[in-house]
Amino acid sequence: MTAMTDYSLSDLCDLADVTPRTVRYYVAQGLLPKPTGFGPGAHYSDEHLSRLRLIRRLQREHLPLAEIRRRLEGLRDEDIDRLATGPGTSRSAGISEGSALDYVRGLLGGQTAADLQPASPSSAPLVAAMRLGGSPAEGALAPDAQTLMHRLASAPAAEGWPGPAPDGRPATTSTSDRSQWDRIALSPDVEVHVRRPLSRHQNRQVDRLLEAGRQIFEEEPR
Amino acid sequence: MSQRVSLSIRSDRRYIRAGYRSNRFVLARIEAPEAPARADRTPANLSFVLDRSGSMGGEKIALARQAVEQAVAALRAEDRFSVVAYDEQVDVVVPGSQATADARREAIEALGRIDARGSTNLGEGWLRGCEQVALRLAEAGVNRCLLLTDGLANKGITDRGELSRHAAELRARGISTSTFGVGRDFDELLLQAMSDAGGGHFYFIEQARQIPDYITSEVGEVLEVVARGALLEVSAGEGTLVEPLTPLAHERNGDVTSIRLGDLVSQQRLELVLRLNFPHGQIGERMEATFRLADPAGTLSTDSTALHFEYADGRTNDLQERDADVDRAVARVFAARAREEALGLNRSGDFKAASATLRKAADRIRRYAGDDREMRAIVARLSQESTAWSTPMAELDRKRAYFASSNLARARDIQGRARKDW
Repeated sequence: MTAMTDYSLSDLCDLADVTPRTVRYYVAQGLLPKPTGFGPGAHYSDEHLSRLRLIRRLQREHLPLAEIRRRLEGLRDEDIDRLATGPGTSRSAGISEGSALDYVRGLLGGQTAADLQPASPSSAPLVAAMRLGGSPAEGALAPDAQTLMHRLASAPAAEGWPGPAPDGRPATTSTSDRSQWDRIALSPDVEVHVRRPLSRHQNRQVDRLLEAGRQIFEEEPR
Repeated sequence: MSQRVSLSIRSDRRYIRAGYRSNRFVLARIEAPEAPARADRTPANLSFVLDRSGSMGGEKIALARQAVEQAVAALRAEDRFSVVAYDEQVDVVVPGSQATADARREAIEALGRIDARGSTNLGEGWLRGCEQVALRLAEAGVNRCLLLTDGLANKGITDRGELSRHAAELRARGISTSTFGVGRDFDELLLQAMSDAGGGHFYFIEQARQIPDYITSEVGEVLEVVARGALLEVSAGEGTLVEPLTPLAHERNGDVTSIRLGDLVSQQRLELVLRLNFPHGQIGERMEATFRLADPAGTLSTDSTALHFEYADGRTNDLQERDADVDRAVARVFAARAREEALGLNRSGDFKAASATLRKAADRIRRYAGDDREMRAIVARLSQESTAWSTPMAELDRKRAYFASSNLARARDIQGRARKDW
């Protein structure tokens, strides 16, 4: 963890590469905690900076804000701090022959990443976050709208959604060949469900649909 | 054996504004030593993973085979190599073995049997390659998986985030990943993310006939690595945040920030830009930041270099001299990163955001460009691109632009190779 520091709004924006409008929007949406103080005297902390960076990172993976919020809700501050700097950080540089082979074989054997020993204790939250945001295996979800809505309404956010499949299979991707449902939020209240993989043509159609949808719901200021 | 490596450090400005949090930028230039004679180098362990899906048919697969043949010819008996081919099925064509004359001859025969067909299980193909490397890791040498594809991952693990997380995990366990995308249909964001997280390099191969050149060049680099897993360690006072603008992984441990430079090759010239964000301070107070190169094997030896900063009033700050070379390097990296992001947004169809990203970067550089010709040219180009990239781009144009920005941001030459001059 870093030493606690105070940032003005403009310092924070500079460091996280966002606009003041975006920061205020995220605070209003509950993605960021409120600053201490008001107006020009408002101060932000390292927690704000880490959260903003993680949000930016997840946005680069094209996750919608509602999904980002869901992922952030289950994470502790120190996890956010680690995740914000991206994969490949906080790793030991040592070589461990057994562990590389175990890791690969674990994946090839159909185990999920969450079942594998992380390379260092600090990579555990990364795996936890994957599970949190993981997509359900085929069959984990009945694709009819009623079941989906029921799951959405009943899934406690802190546990993450989609959760493990009813038969106890983990929700992260394995190497087996199957499709998966992606949930894409157009606004905090409206979501689109897409079964992947899709053909390139269908992907383009979905992109167009989402683009139009986001314009209608004005998901966030750019 | 310790080898001299040179490290030079400069900052854009010396004074820091008292009573504010301010950024100062640092340009670090590293010159790696020359590799020892060929006979003395440490053995390497490489896996060549080839996409043999239907689209690789004809010339491409033939050239990929030829590339591996040439690369294998450069290995010595102490080195290890393996070959994996994948479509929807994954076959270990040549299991991990010592690169003896017999093994190389057998590999050439086995390569001849690889034909293009089917769809692409990129994830498993790559993991099988890593498995072959993992079977017997070279303790002191480079362990690397080289993944060549012309298409998308559409079977098995296909998620960009998940594949790059596995690449990071494998890098932490000693296996790095380099990726080669051929033609117009692969996912450059996926291949870049895998190589960034995997501690290797990404190459865009526009024409199939260039496949052997790129593979040979990457293997050549692997064979002349002089320091594995090099780090730049920066220690700055409490409350000072140190971050690389060059897209490299880094970690903070107390007051020390370690930036992962990856493997340094013989006589490589690596330039990186760092941002130091200083806490509030009193006029006259001094701050020090020290910089030191290190690698786990201790093959690099370098004294630490220090930079000094001083808090001063507004007027002193406004009138102080700036180091134009540092300003230009900062502008280049900001511009390259903005381009990379904008091209990713363009790829996903978010044209408005692509254009806004470039405009914002142009505005930012304009603020300190003054009359400097190079920086004004960067601003002009970004402004031009913010218009040009606000509509769908042709695949090859976008990939070409992406590769150029990616190399610039990572201080590599126009073909993605380690730079050997400034």
